Amino acid sequence: MKKVYISMFVLSSIFLSGCADDYLDVNETESILTEDIELFNSSEGAATFTTAVYNKFLDFSMSSFSWVGMTSIASDDADKGSSPGDTGSDKDLMDALTYNPSSPSTSEIFRANYEGINRANRAISIIPTLDKADANIRERLVGEAKFLRAFMYFTLVKAYGGVPVIDHVPNPASEEDRLMQLTRKTPAEVYAFIEKDLTEAAAILPLKSAYSVSEKGRVSQGAAYALLAKINLYQKNWQKVVDNCNLVTGYSLVANYASMFRLAGENDAESIFEIQGTGTVPIKGIAGYSNIQGARGAGGWGWGFNTPSQSLLNAYEANDVRKNATIIFAGTTLYDGRVVPTTVENPMYNYKAYSSSFTDAWETDTNIKYLRFAEVILMKAEALNELGQTTDAIVLLNQIRNRAGLANSTAVSQSDLRTAIWKERRVEMAFEHDRFFDLVRTGQAAAAFTIHGKNFVTGKHEVFPLPQAFIDEAGGLSTQNPGY
Amino acid sequence: MRNFILSFLALILLPAYMSGQVIKGKVLDKDGIAVPGAIVLGTTSNANTDTDFDGNFSINATNGETLKISMIGFETLSIKASTSFMTITLKESQEMTLDEVVVIGYGSRKKIDNTTAITSLKAEEVSKTKVLNASQAIQGKAAGVQVISSDAPGSSPSVVIRGLGTATGGRTPLYVVDGMPTTNINNINTNDITSYEILKDASSLAIYGTRAANGVIIITTKQGKGDKVTVEVESFTGFRKPLKTVRMADSNAYATYTNAALGTNTFSTNQPINTNWLDAITRTGNYTQNNVSISGSSENVKYFFSAGNYEEKAVLNGLDYSRFTFRNNNEYKISDKLKITQNLSFTSANSTPQPFSAFTSAYKQSPIVPVRFSNGSYGISYVGTDGTSGTSGSSFNNVGNPVSQLDFNDEEQRSVTLQGGIKLDYDILKSLKFTSQFNGEYYTWKNYNFEDTQAIWQVNNNPANLSSIVYPDDKNINQLTKGRNQYFNWNLTNYVTYNEIFGDIHDIEVTAGIETSIQGAREALTVTRKDVNPNSNYWSLKDVNYVGTVTNYKDEVFNETKLASYFGRFQYKLLDRYLLTGTVRRDGSSNFGKDYRWGTFPAFGIGWIVSNENFMANVKGIDLLKIRGGWGKLGNQNVPLNNQSYSSGLSYYTGGSILNEGTTINSQIDPSLSWEVTEETSAGVDFELLDSRLKGSFDLYDKTTKNVILFTVPYITSGINAASPAHVGEVNNKGYEISLRWDDKINDNLSYWLGGNYSNNTNKLSSLQNANISPIKGGGLGNGQWTKLLDNSSVGQALGSFYLYDYAGVNPENGKMLYYTADGEKVTQDKLAESDRNYSGSILPTSNYGVTVGVNYKNFDLSVDGYGTGGSKVYNGKKAQRFTGENVEASLAENFWTTSNTSAINPAPFNSVPVASTYYLESGDFFRINNISLGYKLPLREGFINYCRLYVNAINPFITQKFSGFSPELNGNGDPYGTQGIELDAYPTLRSVVIGANLKF
Repeated sequence: MKKVYISMFVLSSIFLSGCADDYLDVNETESILTEDIELFNSSEGAATFTTAVYNKFLDFSMSSFSWVGMTSIASDDADKGSSPGDTGSDKDLMDALTYNPSSPSTSEIFRANYEGINRANRAISIIPTLDKADANIRERLVGEAKFLRAFMYFTLVKAYGGVPVIDHVPNPASEEDRLMQLTRKTPAEVYAFIEKDLTEAAAILPLKSAYSVSEKGRVSQGAAYALLAKINLYQKNWQKVVDNCNLVTGYSLVANYASMFRLAGENDAESIFEIQGTGTVPIKGIAGYSNIQGARGAGGWGWGFNTPSQSLLNAYEANDVRKNATIIFAGTTLYDGRVVPTTVENPMYNYKAYSSSFTDAWETDTNIKYLRFAEVILMKAEALNELGQTTDAIVLLNQIRNRAGLANSTAVSQSDLRTAIWKERRVEMAFEHDRFFDLVRTGQAAAAFTIHGKNFVTGKHEVFPLPQAFIDEAGGLSTQNPGY
Repeated sequence: MRNFILSFLALILLPAYMSGQVIKGKVLDKDGIAVPGAIVLGTTSNANTDTDFDGNFSINATNGETLKISMIGFETLSIKASTSFMTITLKESQEMTLDEVVVIGYGSRKKIDNTTAITSLKAEEVSKTKVLNASQAIQGKAAGVQVISSDAPGSSPSVVIRGLGTATGGRTPLYVVDGMPTTNINNINTNDITSYEILKDASSLAIYGTRAANGVIIITTKQGKGDKVTVEVESFTGFRKPLKTVRMADSNAYATYTNAALGTNTFSTNQPINTNWLDAITRTGNYTQNNVSISGSSENVKYFFSAGNYEEKAVLNGLDYSRFTFRNNNEYKISDKLKITQNLSFTSANSTPQPFSAFTSAYKQSPIVPVRFSNGSYGISYVGTDGTSGTSGSSFNNVGNPVSQLDFNDEEQRSVTLQGGIKLDYDILKSLKFTSQFNGEYYTWKNYNFEDTQAIWQVNNNPANLSSIVYPDDKNINQLTKGRNQYFNWNLTNYVTYNEIFGDIHDIEVTAGIETSIQGAREALTVTRKDVNPNSNYWSLKDVNYVGTVTNYKDEVFNETKLASYFGRFQYKLLDRYLLTGTVRRDGSSNFGKDYRWGTFPAFGIGWIVSNENFMANVKGIDLLKIRGGWGKLGNQNVPLNNQSYSSGLSYYTGGSILNEGTTINSQIDPSLSWEVTEETSAGVDFELLDSRLKGSFDLYDKTTKNVILFTVPYITSGINAASPAHVGEVNNKGYEISLRWDDKINDNLSYWLGGNYSNNTNKLSSLQNANISPIKGGGLGNGQWTKLLDNSSVGQALGSFYLYDYAGVNPENGKMLYYTADGEKVTQDKLAESDRNYSGSILPTSNYGVTVGVNYKNFDLSVDGYGTGGSKVYNGKKAQRFTGENVEASLAENFWTTSNTSAINPAPFNSVPVASTYYLESGDFFRINNISLGYKLPLREGFINYCRLYVNAINPFITQKFSGFSPELNGNGDPYGTQGIELDAYPTLRSVVIGANLKF
């Protein structure tokens, strides 16, 4: 009896005496609380916030099926591929330029880049507060994040035109931040923001040579200048292109073009910025990238999408070593001895997505090369040509041609050289996610698509539609791109 | 006080004194104790009175007139009036209803004194339909309770009580098994259940405030009784087949259709092979159950032991399930004042799961593909130049071989659940009782999944063993995943109950207590290794370090949840007719931030037993009439721990072999998140008419969940894609329930019953408060199409509403599917904008109904139970997901648009992914006979076997449905914005025939 009262009393007093609140405190065990920020207060801890930004580039939504759809399948370099009936959700629409604001591919790329931008904004705001981390490392990590943020805004502005610029982590309670998230900026404003980020990054980042072997994949100063050159190229600021290209130093063309797209060529002397995949345990690669573009059917290893187009095949001059380094032909033997039987579904596939060791794995050791020294040379050549320094430009162009086993260019006039450089860009950088935007930038799109057998509507197809979901959210603050 | 009551009664009874002579007497029970309040009625004079507190009465009646004396709990007695002082002895009633007790949470109450809406189902109802889970067995038996079940072995049905009030994770009702709160009752052997009570209205639920918003189901298991040992045995065995299948195109029809879609002659229309893939992956299922129980009691001990074994070979090839249960419930009377009750249950379940996606693969795979090629390898979808399937050629679809999919799936799961509790009842005073109860639940689960990677690759890539195609040496030859899972939950309750009758008419019961409930941290360990020994005996060798072959290692501890609660209840009964209940519960939940974790949930209920009123004594034919009503607030706290935390695991190599760990913040937590509060007002009537042969009740309710919690994501450009719970809106459920049952006994040999219930519920999202809510586009088909929407435009719609393009038929000129735009124009799908979509009905039914009919004739018994729903929509997901090269339904292949058949109802074959439209939306209405049971009791004399009943059951023998798919009952993942209501990878409903026997020794 007495015991009963005691137990009752004890339990009641636990609740009633204010400890009830403590009693209800439980430990979070699933994820680290933001209030435990001190756990990250070290150089290693600070680095994790920038690593997360890089990690976004491994996502299927960021770099894989939709991205290939927008940058290659939609361009004249590639066809949808795969079996005729397999649309890959909307890759048939991407191929035919009939996508709409609800198409999954165009929506996914928009979302994924903003997801990456959020991670960059987090890194940029959190890292400076970690006072126990090495100050130089903190500065560098913020510089890397700014480069990656700029890279993603460049993707957005190329693909969609002016987009909202989120330059800090939005406060959900702020009206100003609400407007920031829902209002499109002009392309010029976006470019200005990118240029600012890159300039700041370039000032902080070390040279690639200053990184240790296991950090060659980080963003370097050279990458920042190369990207600055590229955004200036898009804005036709020719002198700035030349100036920035001149600041990209310590790189050289590698002798063997094909080697760059194999495991051994990762982060080689020509590489300025690439996305890193690893196929050995612990596996961390670009989700699905090799698999979706792998040969399909009997003897194949993938879904068979993004197949080289006849238009691309025709673009290679005879003896161009880049042809067989870019295209897998059915019925041939690959560099690693793999026989691609004729029973595969399509006659050609993308060689640059092929992983020898992890052929049909979802995540492989395949990297995506986003900035190479060859492109820096071509950008500089193009800018010099526009500035009237045609002779200097030809020398640069020939460096690229000679490496590919081709003779010097026969172009003489500024206008012929312009065309020659543009064409060289195409064959040099096929399947490196540049072609669609390059066609629009250079104004060749309508003509090129006609050759490729597609209807490019001028005034509409220069940009992709913004996701309908964004337009809905914006509630009138932003309007859809014309024609969609 | 007594005087006041007496004068009050006198006033009511005044008419009784107005004629005849005074007849006096006294009413006693069988022990000679006076019965106060008994109604005495003169049948001809219509005079009436009731007995005073000493059982005495006097009535103005005539000598010889028949007096009818009635009292609750006693049989009504008719006796001739006499002028001498009458001594009348009433016999206690055998009629169960009035003594029937319902469990109400922290106590029990006589059914008649209960003011709330509780459906109480007895053992027989729960165990009659031979299914694994008790909740599936009660489908259609309780008004206002919707059960969406699946016949997949070991699955748990969804139970929705009085409409869906929330859309987040916390949608399931709370089960309280012998005092242990839990969310799953798959470990309970239905044969061990003695009562299954469903608490439906706020007034009854508020005592469980915390987790009561979705309703509470209280399950009580059996106790020993009787003074001798009883041994009961039940055994049955049954066979199962899919209740309904979809007729697919045969191989020639497939070839014709697919050629038309491709615009080629790829496929020969004279196919040598015609595979029925559904037949190829299914078999006749069978299942058996055996139960033995031993029970009894002595003066101080009651005991109950039971053991049960359930085994099922499911219809899907390779899917086996078995469950063993053991239970021991004991009650010890330590002294006159102290009683200890203990229960313990052990359940072990084993299964070899198979992927239900095999059903979708079987639907989609072409009939021209053989199960196996002539060389013995599994058939895959290659078409050769001759237009038939072969080991080489062009791959024409992405569907694997459903048979090889099942053959290669090597998985096993085992779980053990231990549930038990100890309860102490101590009578402090005669009227004051203290109860302390502790319950615990320990669960452990393990599995393995072995993938023969190389063999699977060989099937899909090299059916002809072409020498040029070899398995890459750097690939792992196989893969083994092992998982371990465990948790411990516990619950401690202490309460006192005070019960006293004051002045003979004021019956007061007060309950007050405190409770704490802990959902322990669930631990999960998952390890994947490659290149293991092909012999499963040698997977885990002693002293071997497998670190080099581990490809995945996950060690997770999930957040625990704690609740602390105070509760109190006051029940008052005046004069056996006026009832009042008040409840209040205050709960704290660890899931919410410190300042937002406490919620108070009050409720009250009132009742009036009209039939106990004197003025009703004259009314013939009404045996019971009770009116009740109530109001209350309930809470739902089933959300994840509301903390702002980092996202980890976002790792990256920066060029070397070191994997760098990555961290970010990818969520936006609302720190003020607190209880989801549901408010309900309800009223009901219970009645029994015509000598209690017709019983029924009618209920009305209006239930509003304010501040509904939904998972939302901020704006797209915020870059945050992890959804977080937020209070966003208001959901309303309004409805009514009717249940009626007629029982009659024609003679000693023949009795029968007829019953039914109907409930109607209107679910509506009545408002959304948060203008920033990001749309939830749900019901995705995995091909870029989604079918359901929840955003600001959904106000006024039911939860789980489809949001689709309106199909406008086939364009007779080209056979293309047309859709209506918002302006009413008919266009093809590439011309549609999202604003052309419309709300097209919800997965939630507006009505549910059940019927039951039964006859007992001599030793035979026959009963039939049926169940149906109305007003719901289902989406034919597998049909909508079809890609070119995949099979189509026969009805489509037989009548589609061609240049020579331009009036066909089905469009011309197409290759593109069709938009989500009403073309694939169908009515989910169905009516099904759930169970027919025929039994025969052997006419045994008392002997070794005292009782033997043999029976045959037909489960789900018939269905009428409008849906063209396998089953309109589609629980999916249980999420109204997930795959619920969409037929995709769904397990078919089964028809079963069962024979069995019950024995008692």
